[in-house]
Parts: sequence; C-alpha cells; structure tokens
Amino acid sequence: MATESKRLRIPLFNRWNSLRAREARLAWFLILPTAIIVFGLIVFPAFFSIWISFHDVGLGNLNDVFSAPFIGFQNYTDVFNDFAFKFQGLNSWGAAVTSIVYSFVATTLTVLIGLVAALLLNRPFRGRGPVRAIFLFPYVAPIVSVAFVWRWILDPRPSGVLNDVLMRLELIDLPLAFLAERGLALLIVVMFEAWRYFPFAMLMILARLQAIDGTLYEAADVDGAGTMAKFRWVTLPELRYVLGAIFLLRLMWTFNKFDDIFLLTGGGFGTKVLPILTYEFSFKLFDFGKGAATAMILFTILVVFLIVYARVVMRNVDED
Amino acid sequence: MEKEADVSPTTRPRYGKQGTLIDQLAAWITWPRFIVAVGISFFLFSILFPFYWMVSSSFKSREEIGGREPVYIPSALRLDAYKELFDPESPIGRFGGNIVNSLKIAIPTALIALILSTLGAYAIARMRFRGQSVMLNGILLVYLFPGVLLIIPLFAMLARIGDSIGFNVQDNLPVLVVTYLAMTLPVALYMLANYFRTIPVEIEQAAMIDGASRLGVIWRITLPLAVPALVSVAIYCFMIAWNEFLFALVFLNDREMFTMPIKINTIFNDPTPRPHVVMAASTIMTIPVVILFLALERYLAEGLSAGSVKG
Repeated sequence: MATESKRLRIPLFNRWNSLRAREARLAWFLILPTAIIVFGLIVFPAFFSIWISFHDVGLGNLNDVFSAPFIGFQNYTDVFNDFAFKFQGLNSWGAAVTSIVYSFVATTLTVLIGLVAALLLNRPFRGRGPVRAIFLFPYVAPIVSVAFVWRWILDPRPSGVLNDVLMRLELIDLPLAFLAERGLALLIVVMFEAWRYFPFAMLMILARLQAIDGTLYEAADVDGAGTMAKFRWVTLPELRYVLGAIFLLRLMWTFNKFDDIFLLTGGGFGTKVLPILTYEFSFKLFDFGKGAATAMILFTILVVFLIVYARVVMRNVDED
Repeated sequence: MEKEADVSPTTRPRYGKQGTLIDQLAAWITWPRFIVAVGISFFLFSILFPFYWMVSSSFKSREEIGGREPVYIPSALRLDAYKELFDPESPIGRFGGNIVNSLKIAIPTALIALILSTLGAYAIARMRFRGQSVMLNGILLVYLFPGVLLIIPLFAMLARIGDSIGFNVQDNLPVLVVTYLAMTLPVALYMLANYFRTIPVEIEQAAMIDGASRLGVIWRITLPLAVPALVSVAIYCFMIAWNEFLFALVFLNDREMFTMPIKINTIFNDPTPRPHVVMAASTIMTIPVVILFLALERYLAEGLSAGSVKG
C-alpha cells in the first residue's frame, strides 16, 4: 500500500523512468516482433477473410482487393447451393456432413488407439525406450512421404502390397481400388488418420498414466479388484480429463486438416471435406470470395463444436 | 474417495481360490504379458512396414516396381530411382535444387523463430506488463484457425503489398519463410515460456543484484540453462517448415523454386507413374527428420506431450 500511494505522487517523468515502467517497455520491445508477425499474418488475415467472404474477389481483382464489389450473402448462398457442399442423401453426403462424420470418427479412433498404445507402454519392459521412439515415427515423418507410401501400399493394381496380401489370403478375388471407391475411401482415410496421429494421444495419455498415484491401485487391490476392474474404476476416471482434452484438440485439428486427404484421394470418392472444398473454390476456380465463405462456414461449425463441447463435456469433467 | 467406494461392491477376485497355484500364475503373469507382447508386435509391424516399404521400394529397378506382383525384397540395392531423381536432363529430376530450396526455407525459419520466440517467451515468463494475458491468449488462439482459412486472405494481402513495394508473392522463398514464422512462432513461444518458468527466478535475481542488466541475465544465465529447450524448439520449427505442404503448394509455381513436398507431389502426379522415384524422394525427405528426432527424442517427446505441436 505504501508503494501504491508513493507511485501516485511521483511526477510523470519519474514514472516513465521508474524500474517498473522500464521493465514493461523492455518486455514490449522483446515481444513486439513476434506479436507483429503473428497478428499481421494470422489475426488480421482471419478478420480479412470475413471481409473477403462478403465480396466478389476473383483472379482479376486480386491485386486490387479493396475495391472488390460488395455482394452481401451471395457467396454464402452459392456455397450452400453447391452440389459439392450440400447433403443429398446417403450416396452423396456433401462436404459439410462428410467433414463432420470424418472428424468425429477419425478422432475417436485416434484417441482409442492412442489409449491402447499408452496402456501397452505403461509397464516397464526391456526395450521400452526404443519401442516408444518407434511408436512416434508416424507422427514425426513428413506427411507427404507417409501419404504417398500408403498410396503405394494401397495401389489398386494386383501389384499393390495390400491387394497382393489379401488375394493370397483369398479374402478378395479381385484387386480393390481402396482409395477410389465411395465409402471405402473414407474408411481408409479415417484409418490413415488414426495411424498417423495416435502417437500424439499416446504421449499425452502415457504422461498422465505415469502420474497416477500408486496408492489408488493398492487400495483397489485391498478391495479385491481385478485388472479390468482396476482399469474401469481407477485408470479411466484418472484419464478422463486428459482424454477430453486430447479429443478436443485432435477434433479441431482433424476438422481443419487439408494435407492428408488432399494427398491421399485429392478429395474424390466421397472424401471431399470442407478444407478441400475451400481450396478448390479458391485455387481451382479462383473464386476467392466463395472460398472464403466456405472457410468461414468451416470455422463457424468448429466454434459451435467448441462451445457445445465446453458446455457439455468439460462441465462433466469439472464435477469430478 | 468416490472411486474407492465404487470399487468394492462390483468386484470379486477374478482368479479366485479355485484352480491350482500354476493356474493362478498362468492367469496372472503370462496372459497379460502375452497380450502386451502381441499388441506391441502388431503396432511395431504396422508402423515399421510402411517405412520399410518406402526405403525398399526406392532401391527397386523399374522392372521390379512395375511387375505383376509386388517384390517384397529388392534383388539388389539398385540406385536407378536416385539417379533418375537427380538427373539434370529429366523434367522430374534435379531434386538437388529442391533439397536446397527446402533448406533455404527451413533453416532461416528455425533460426529466426528461435531468436524471436526466445525474446518473447522470456518477456511472457518473467516480466509483468500491461496486456500480457491478452497477448498470450491472442497468440494461442492461432491454434484455432485452419490453414485454408488463412491462406486466401494472406494470398490477397501479400499480393497487394507485393504490388505496391515491388516483390512477387509467388515463387518467393522469403515470403514463405515469413508465413512459416507465423505458423511456428506461437508454438515456439509457448514451449519456451513454459521452460523458462521452470528455471528458478532466484538465480536471475542473484545476477541482477550483482549488477547484470536484464539482457545480460537472459544472455548469460537463462539461455545457457535452457539449451535443451532451445534445441528442441529449433528442431520443431525446422520440421514444420520442412514438412509444410499447403502454403508451398499455393505460393510456388515455378518448378525450379519447388520445395521437396511439392516436387514429390509433382512426380507422383506425373502421367508416367514412377513409384520408385517417389519413394526415393520420400526417403531422402524422411531420413533427416527421423535422425534428428531420434538424436533428441528425450527432449522432443517432452515437448510433444506438453501438447504444444500443432499437427
């Protein structure tokens, strides 16, 4: 309190020179370059994207964006009426429904496989360190390499490895075009996603598993709990929060993901998700306004998820 | 409390008193171990096989790669694919130039991101200033924005700026470096700030009492203590820039300027399929990343589990 009243009485000049003020100035100076780059190249463009989505921006006026004509919700209605976007029955889901189904299924599978992997690595055994390192490979390797090696494994010709193996096992008679068949392609993309991103879930779950208080298991032992009972009544409740957090993060990132599907199927055969549609509108048709409108729809769906998630799932976790 | 209460009513000892001691041992020890061994083998196989397939395919000859049946083990370590990849005559060759382009982008991105994020992270971890939390939350908000949402306005914005100061947005490697900085800085800042908080303040205070300035403290005390974190942050940023696909795809048009991911995509989509060449290029692109990762796995895994990498 003494310092507070003293600070009020000192003249402005001294306050400018005070240690606290100099500290704050130095802090701003240190963070300014980062702030300028992040705000200039991410936060501003994000708002600019809203502006673009209400204007008619094409290749012709790209260099003079700010004088692009205002067209209200035209871009949005165009997107909603686009056959690639809207749901038209079970044979043609449209990008919005495909995106939602794809992200939910892929995220759930990723978290489940991550949980299994974490449980496998939880107990010490010889060679656990190297095994854990190998488990991280799919997540660390460049997306282009792993996407193309999977395309090559899933090659539709009889010379594709998976086709060869399945035909030798006599599970199929004719080679399958895994990535070029509606339904199957989406399933494969979901499985690829789980293969690539389970290590992220695994690492976070493993960290939490190692932090569980051992006395909880001892207490369960005293009560006569078996392995399954201990998992159900001790491990899972302890993991609830981290599982919720991973699910949320992965759901966001999967929903926003462009590279994986673009490289695997190019967005064909029932795998056209919203990020791919955004890319096609903008950089194939060069209708940037329509692309931006699609991106804004994508972002809106994402924010709705987050709010619902925060209100339903996170509140339940907090009650614990 | 609640948990312990839940345990008791539902459960009896699963492997009860009936059965011999050997049965109990078999049930308690072998069975879980067996499951764990099978599970781990399954995981190892499904992870390692694609990598094996990538490397082995890159050593196959054109006949082996284009045959009726897959060749599981190449008959010899043939370098045909690599020769084609670096062939100066072939349109899909000259991969050396693409490696150089990738390095020209990834190394500056990693270094600049490291320097800027060190400064910013120190301010966030150690200093008090007005607007601090707004700044930090604003920077973390970046996690939310999809790349495809940002690329349209960025493209339009940079095209406009480029027009007025006279640079080309397309085929301009520095432009890519700047956009990658925007992608990597929030991650780097977050990781480093977390690390700086674990360094005891008292060490720094002692140095300041001895007359060191803030910048002197950062340089002489904090940075030497944070070397592991600095190295992992630099490697993360390097890897993000090295692997990035979407922005490079949009911003690069000229074959000579392509980074490796875009070049590999071009080779793959060439009308003549050359899977062995694609695999050779993928191998070249993957090996440095995996080696860097293995060398620093201990530090990197910690950073990964801090949930700090967007991917």
